[in-house]
Amino acid sequence: MVYIPPLNFAPVVSTEVSLYRSGYPMPLNYAFIADQLHLRTIIYVGDKELSEDYNEFLTQHNIQYHFVHMNSCRDKNVQEQMDKVLRLIVDRANYPILIHSNKGKHRVGVVVGIIRKLLQGWSTTGIYQEYDIFSGGLKGQVDLEFITMFDTELIVRRDHLPDFVKWER
Amino acid sequence: MEPDYEEDDDHVYINEETELGRENVVISHAPRARIVPPLNFCPVERYLYRSGQPSTVNFPFLLDLKLKTIIWLANEEPQDALLEFCDAHAIQLQFATINPDGGEDDNPWDGLTEHSIISALRTIVNVESYPLLVCCGMGRHRTGTVIGCLRRIMGWNLASVSEEYRRFTGSRGGRILVELLIEAFDTQLVEIDRAKAPQWLLTAV
Repeated sequence: MVYIPPLNFAPVVSTEVSLYRSGYPMPLNYAFIADQLHLRTIIYVGDKELSEDYNEFLTQHNIQYHFVHMNSCRDKNVQEQMDKVLRLIVDRANYPILIHSNKGKHRVGVVVGIIRKLLQGWSTTGIYQEYDIFSGGLKGQVDLEFITMFDTELIVRRDHLPDFVKWER
Repeated sequence: MEPDYEEDDDHVYINEETELGRENVVISHAPRARIVPPLNFCPVERYLYRSGQPSTVNFPFLLDLKLKTIIWLANEEPQDALLEFCDAHAIQLQFATINPDGGEDDNPWDGLTEHSIISALRTIVNVESYPLLVCCGMGRHRTGTVIGCLRRIMGWNLASVSEEYRRFTGSRGGRILVELLIEAFDTQLVEIDRAKAPQWLLTAV
């Protein structure tokens, strides 16, 4: 069996819970996802309709699919959409999670950057570097500025939080 | 799927511990204490990480990972600060020298020998070494070689292994030599003891 992970695939968090990132999964990636990731949830931040193949795959493997419509961090409703993503991420009942966009570069890069900052307390340079690794050196100044400026106000249950989330009273 | 804890929402009397757990927390801004990941840091699999050489500024970050082992892929010793850090926190520092027979002719541009790849992988396929960080100077080529060979053991197709390797190689890109080493690596050379292998490896092989 040869396994083909989706484009730009990598774990984001690999502790008690698993959170993965990638580009849009194609049928040739389904075996990898099914056999190796055992997902409970997929979050798609993007603009494409669900394809028939993909829908069938999700149903067959009983994966909860959340479509969070997003063109870029310049969208008018981006705060609301980002909060939707974060609410799914801070609930341990949803894991293992794969979050993907189309190429796994910019939209996922922004989501991961915000997780690194808000939930894990990574330094700004660390966040920028990771964004660069996955965007292939494309600078994405607007994305990085968005990550830096982002804040929110989510009230969540403490006993739902996955182990990697740092929180302060 | 609804999680179990929704069911006992009606119970008025719950023990103190549960009650504490049910407390709400507000997520609004980054934690005050920021942590700095090492150069080229990335998770590889559960409790397995890769990076460049960690320096003092990265130590609080490393502490969060609760590492048991660090594999250092170089002939020379890492900085004293890292040695002291490992010592202070009971982290096993394993050297996997690039080319143990190289002597004075040895240089950091040489690829890893089969021997050192196998020695690193033996540690990686044993869950007793976890949580585990694999690192070299920049976290690019030597670390990339070892992780690439691990991916081959896991049955990844070669194009995906190369894609992952190149992602971490910076602006100068990947080295053909490294990709050839990964491609030529005989995965049978690493013996996997199923009783000691990490769960993710068992589902892959």
